[in-house]
Amino acid sequence: MFYREAGQFKASYRQDQQIFPIRQDRIAIALILAFFYLVVPYFASQYWLQGIMIPVLIFSLAAIGLNILTGYAGQLSLGSAAFMAVGAFAAYNFVLRVPGMPILVAFILAGLCAAAVGMLFGLPSLRIKGFYLAVATLAAQFFIVWALTKFPWFSNNSSSGVITAQKVEILGFAFETPEAKYLLTLAVVTVLALLAKNMVRSSIGRSWMAIRDMDVAAEVIGIRPMHTKLMAFAVSSFYCGVAGALYAYTYLGTVEPEGFNLDLSFRILFMVIIGGVGSIMGSFLGAAFIVLLPIFLNVSMHALGSWVPQGISSNLELIVFGGLIIFFLIVEPHGLARLWQIGKEKLRLWPFPH
Amino acid sequence: MSNGRQIGEAILDLQNISLRFGGVKALTDISFDVREHEIRAIIGPNGAGKSSMLNVINGVYHPQEGTIVFRGKKRHDMDTHEAAEAGFARTFQNIALFKGMSVLDNLMTGRNLKMKSNFLLQALYWGPAQREELEHRRKVEEVIDFLEIEHIRKTPVGRLPYGLQKRVELGRALAAEPKVLLLDEPMAGMNVEEKQDMCRFVLDVNDHFGTTIILIEHDMGVVMDISDRVVVLDYGKKIADGTPDEVRNNEDVIKAYLGVAH
Amino acid sequence: MQFFFEVLIGGLLSGVMYSLVALGFVLIYKASGVFNFAQGAMVFFAALTFVGITEMGVPFGFALILAFGAMILLAIATERVVLRPLVNQPQITLFMATIGLTFLIEGLAQGMWGASVRGLEIPGIQDEPIAWMMENTGIGVSKFDLFAAGVSAVLVVVLAIFFNKTRVGRALRAVADDHQAALAIGIPLQNIWRIVWAVAGLVALVAGVMWGARNGVQFALTFVALKALPVLIIGGFTSIPGAIVGGLIIGASEKLGEIYIPPFVQSTFGIETSLGGIEGWFPYVMALLFLLVRPEGLFGEKHIDRV
Repeated sequence: MFYREAGQFKASYRQDQQIFPIRQDRIAIALILAFFYLVVPYFASQYWLQGIMIPVLIFSLAAIGLNILTGYAGQLSLGSAAFMAVGAFAAYNFVLRVPGMPILVAFILAGLCAAAVGMLFGLPSLRIKGFYLAVATLAAQFFIVWALTKFPWFSNNSSSGVITAQKVEILGFAFETPEAKYLLTLAVVTVLALLAKNMVRSSIGRSWMAIRDMDVAAEVIGIRPMHTKLMAFAVSSFYCGVAGALYAYTYLGTVEPEGFNLDLSFRILFMVIIGGVGSIMGSFLGAAFIVLLPIFLNVSMHALGSWVPQGISSNLELIVFGGLIIFFLIVEPHGLARLWQIGKEKLRLWPFPH
Repeated sequence: MSNGRQIGEAILDLQNISLRFGGVKALTDISFDVREHEIRAIIGPNGAGKSSMLNVINGVYHPQEGTIVFRGKKRHDMDTHEAAEAGFARTFQNIALFKGMSVLDNLMTGRNLKMKSNFLLQALYWGPAQREELEHRRKVEEVIDFLEIEHIRKTPVGRLPYGLQKRVELGRALAAEPKVLLLDEPMAGMNVEEKQDMCRFVLDVNDHFGTTIILIEHDMGVVMDISDRVVVLDYGKKIADGTPDEVRNNEDVIKAYLGVAH
Repeated sequence: MQFFFEVLIGGLLSGVMYSLVALGFVLIYKASGVFNFAQGAMVFFAALTFVGITEMGVPFGFALILAFGAMILLAIATERVVLRPLVNQPQITLFMATIGLTFLIEGLAQGMWGASVRGLEIPGIQDEPIAWMMENTGIGVSKFDLFAAGVSAVLVVVLAIFFNKTRVGRALRAVADDHQAALAIGIPLQNIWRIVWAVAGLVALVAGVMWGARNGVQFALTFVALKALPVLIIGGFTSIPGAIVGGLIIGASEKLGEIYIPPFVQSTFGIETSLGGIEGWFPYVMALLFLLVRPEGLFGEKHIDRV
């Protein structure tokens, strides 16, 4: 009843190309943004900001990165955590070694470093496809973590490669409180998400999808596979790199290479699968889901108390994750994003059944 | 059958093309030319090498022997990217659409070579990038109008029935504003009405835009009706080359293949 | 020189163990076109179940049979819950489903049997050097490693015969090629898949017992599967002999690389830090370089895209 498009005609292609062509959607997104920018910082507790909002935002960014590479361009990658690591350590070194380096510039440079490394490890994709490529990305994952641990230069000669992020200061204003860090993260993530959305609906995004769907036909049309694939690796790694920098600077504060291990890469992949492959919004939904799920399980286990046998409860997270992946792949391969879309379709008809 | 179009000089000349896959000879010593603005049909029984011939023309396969002369330039083989830039567009026998994208997006990919804006500008969707996107959208909508597929422009291609998918594939090729259109069995699997529509589109394209068309087709009625000249292949060799009438009455062709009119 | 041979032989023998795990992958891929990322978890589950059963007082041989029974049950459950609903989905979807399966099986295994590390003893075979070899050549080769190699060799021969000479084997190869076509000619897809996953389960059990006896039964066992990936790349995803050759190559080069490369690089480039630990990524980079030269592996089938 409320969610009707009746009367909203597009008089130009410009109007048709908007990200949110339906007026109700535009109002909704404005409200959502207002809520996250204005309401949350005032009312949310430290725990929620530090422990939930910030990691969800950071992982959404990494998931967007992986989505671009795997969801849009069809290049399977199991090394996203390694590119986050590159971003984190690059940002640290730029701030450490270049006097007066502004933090936002450091983030961008960190992203570019990750992009360069990403392109290097993406070179095999020109010859290799599918699972073979996944194995190549595993090489990146293991090698990068090893290199960051082994060469003390990266961590300023600390043992086992641990680094502590420096203070975040922009134009003299110090971002030390959870609220400040949250707003900074939110700003970075929303801007990059918008850029990503623009990219995927432009010709670069279509080139990625063409390569994913049928690369021989894409080549015949004149799309250059090498250029397109390397761009996908570069952009994807840039996003993961910036996410990694944020991970160190606004979330954990102290990180080490081992913290960016294969397990984290898998978690990001799960966010993409569950949230919806090939969907920017899905990345947010997936990240929220993966971050909130363990907390939810923890809380329920405590609530159920002694009813649940000890052995199962401590491994429940593994079982539930695994089960959910399989469930989503069977029931809704396009993930939460598609479920969201279906929900909206139903809303358009409400209160009528069909 | 010509209808007032001016058929020009030969723009594509294939000389002694031979193509092998391991021990299998797909094409043996094939030579023929294609004149500008004409509709050239390639026919022959299944397995005669027709698709391979098309693949050689636009660079998907590289012949072991022979020369390709295109617009005066001699070369040993074509490069797909070069072919696309030179104005070749094509459809495939087993529909090579991008199943994950909508009809509109598929057609927009056809214009990919013409999109010059830098990806950073695209990320901002601002200024030149936005103008370019809108301009190409306008062009693509013309193709959509022409092929009468407005009603399905936002539908994911994978969900369309076979006949419409073939039409969309033609649309993607047309969106590139090609000089030479390579059609690989564009009417396969269609019913009579769909075939009539397709014929109409093909003839219109040739008429209005002067696009040279190289067409592989099994339906003899269609071939005889719309083509200017026909090449007949059998077992990878050329067995006839001429106007539809000449070919229809050729002994070898009748022996190899024609027999029954469809 | 002696040392070199010791490392080489040790590497080859551990390579055979990798082959054992890779075999499970090859079986499933050959027969259902599915790349089973959960093979490692299956090895872990098999080993843990076996050890758990022996701890309940059941004798070695009988415990093996019971553990195999558990793997059969796992195969049936997997077919019902994961494979059947996803029939004819693209390969990548099935692959991701097996990633989910990995977590599920790992959680289940630890949930059922606990997460503490267990030792595993194979009666009669100890991890000690073969006496006469030690005396005559001074090279230490573990009895156990040799035994493992022998078992793997037997298993490989049996499986190769099974695949190439029997009717069931032929049906399996048909299924791997095209699910729908196989269904169309009446091959009972569900039964075939259960058989294959059960056989892979048996292979996992053998691998699990071997690895468990060598390194103890612990969660790290699941990472052995990750090592099997470079093996598959070098050997080819669809080749049983390839899994063996690949395993040997990876095993040998991994050990030799770990011993000889870091000192060499350190001295050539004057690097002070000890560059050990390259075992973790060296096999992958090797596999990667290999792929660039031969994308389908030594014995794999070339993939042809028909336009």
